[in-house]
Amino acid sequence: MFLKDYISDVYNGVTSLLKGMRKTGYYFTHSKEIITEQYPDNRATLKLADRFKGEVVMPHDEQNEHTCTGCTACELACPNGTIKIITKFEMTPEGKKKKAIDSFIYRLEMCTLCNLCVAACPSDAIKMAPNFEHSVFDRSKLTKILNKPGSKIKEGVE
Amino acid sequence: MNISSIIFYAISALILGAGILAVTSVKIFRAAIWLLFSLVGIAALYFWMQVEFIAAIQIVVYVGGIVVLIIFSIFLTQNSGKEMAKPAKGKVIFSALAALFGTAFVHNLIVHYEGFATNSAKPFNPNVAEIGTQMLSTTSHGFILPFEVVSMLLLAAMVGCIVIAMRPNNEIKN
Amino acid sequence: MLSLESITKTTQDWLLAKFSPQIALTIECVIVILLAITLFAVLGLVLVLLERKVAARIQIRLGPNRVGPGGIFQTAADTLKLIMKEGLTPDTADKFLFNLAPFVVMMVAMLLLAPIAFAKNFQIWDINIGVLYISSISSLSVIGILMAGWASNNKYSLLGAMRSGAQIVSYELSAGFAVLTIVVLTGSLQISEIVASQENGWWLFKGHIPVVIAFVLYIIAVTAETNRAPFDLAEAESELTAGFHTEYSGMKFALFFLAEYINIFIVCTIGATLFLGGWMPLHIGHWEGFNHIMDFIPSSVWFMGKTFFLIFLIMWFRWTFPRLRVDQLLNLEWKYLLPISLFNLLLVTVIAIMGWHF
Ligand code: SF4
Ligand code: SF4
Repeated sequence: MFLKDYISDVYNGVTSLLKGMRKTGYYFTHSKEIITEQYPDNRATLKLADRFKGEVVMPHDEQNEHTCTGCTACELACPNGTIKIITKFEMTPEGKKKKAIDSFIYRLEMCTLCNLCVAACPSDAIKMAPNFEHSVFDRSKLTKILNKPGSKIKEGVE
Repeated sequence: MNISSIIFYAISALILGAGILAVTSVKIFRAAIWLLFSLVGIAALYFWMQVEFIAAIQIVVYVGGIVVLIIFSIFLTQNSGKEMAKPAKGKVIFSALAALFGTAFVHNLIVHYEGFATNSAKPFNPNVAEIGTQMLSTTSHGFILPFEVVSMLLLAAMVGCIVIAMRPNNEIKN
Repeated sequence: MLSLESITKTTQDWLLAKFSPQIALTIECVIVILLAITLFAVLGLVLVLLERKVAARIQIRLGPNRVGPGGIFQTAADTLKLIMKEGLTPDTADKFLFNLAPFVVMMVAMLLLAPIAFAKNFQIWDINIGVLYISSISSLSVIGILMAGWASNNKYSLLGAMRSGAQIVSYELSAGFAVLTIVVLTGSLQISEIVASQENGWWLFKGHIPVVIAFVLYIIAVTAETNRAPFDLAEAESELTAGFHTEYSGMKFALFFLAEYINIFIVCTIGATLFLGGWMPLHIGHWEGFNHIMDFIPSSVWFMGKTFFLIFLIMWFRWTFPRLRVDQLLNLEWKYLLPISLFNLLLVTVIAIMGWHF
């Protein structure tokens, strides 16, 4: 019995090693499997995954409208104090006062790209963008105002 | 003096110098390394005599085996990195005398041995196959008896090692 | 046809015609030393690049591809960088031994080159104990590692050196047994005779299953002896930073690195010589026509081809298998490799005595 166990041990060991070698041998001989991106050379054709998180952006539609209500939930959710929301009050046509954002200040240099703000936003006003070329010569350029000038909140978003 | 004898004296100087350093060094690891060089020098001497088989065995057994074991035991000893205290004067004198006596004894033996001149007439054949046959031959100059005795000794040592390393039965049960 | 044999012969004739025999011998020695050093440098550059390329392909990457076309000058650039780096010696290290260790490792690697037959009649020293010489000298390389580990005065180095020592000493046994199987079949330790005995077929094919087993055992044992993954516990980066060469930098580190690759080359040449016929072309029994065609490929090409095949095999192992634990390592040697190789040697001896091999 001992001898049988011993031999089957050796046999199993060798076969499992050979299985591993077959897999790596397959990769070695199939160059089309290579996944390396030759980054600066293929910049034009570079495709990043959709869920790649590079920075926080606020999408605007064609009428230059966003859906941010200025509720500051994202500001509260951010662990790093990256976001600062400055609000203002706008008059609606009915003559009522309504809260809206004046500027959405986002400091990229303090952001850890943790996605908490995006998850916290009740009206899906912000999202993560797959942009990773962030280097600039002046760090003040990293402080961004995400709402475009002259933009306003979309109709119907409360 | 031809090249051959220059090489001989160079190797001998290496052996003796390394040997002296091995006994005088106060750092134990260095002593082991000097011993190693001394043993390698002896192997070189065998190569110089063109008895390659003996030289290879010298390296395998002494350098690859014994010195490595010594170094291992140094590694496993506590405080072995510290410098040792200088030995007492009496000890130094005594060991120097012992070494001198040994040298004198060996020298005496060599001087009174008359075999060298006659032996050189017969071609010295260090063929490996012949060494093997001689080792196992039962005729007048065979070495079968010492060979087997050594085998028994090694077997006994191996069994002893296994017994020491084995866990007693009751310990396994617990 | 231009062969290495004829080049050496013309050189020797020319030197003997010009100078007295002793001076000619000295000049030949110098030439051999220069050739050996050149071989080392070239091997270092080629093997490191090869390793990185193989690793990249296996890991579905491209590997170095910026310095020169396809990255072929990458290792040359790395060497340049290493040469220009400062060679630090730690303050509390044993300075003499610390600086001596890389040279010991390198010297051992150089000594191993002597009896290797690179091509037909192209060998530095056809010593009559060939393979025994190699196994004895290679047991010296552990000394350099132990020395480096101790002299660095660093616990990681010490642990790495001890692991490597235990590993080399134990795997030497099964490597030795694997070599012995061929010695038993050939009846000689001399490299040239071992190669000559494979004229009608390599031992791997002539010797039935036991020789194949011995070949596998040899490859496993030498992979362990050269401290390569999956047996690289001595320099396990994740636990010991870099093992015995943690404290080394610059050229001294480069020497260790180079010696590792030279050792791989040497064990692969030995493997090729013993099991794959060395420089002997692929001959099959009495197929005269086939044998004749094979003879047209120069012997040096055969030799290098076989050696690099084995090197590739060892690299393939490295990038496929995960690292073993210390207890697994010793289990593998003492419970599997050693008993199997002992039994295998017995089988081969029976085959050799009965003359059952081809
Ligand atoms: S991703 Fe995280 S760190 Fe960055 S702004 Fe949002 S919450 Fe703050
Ligand atoms: S981005 Fe979302 S969470 Fe932040 S203020 Fe605007 S609506 Fe509120």
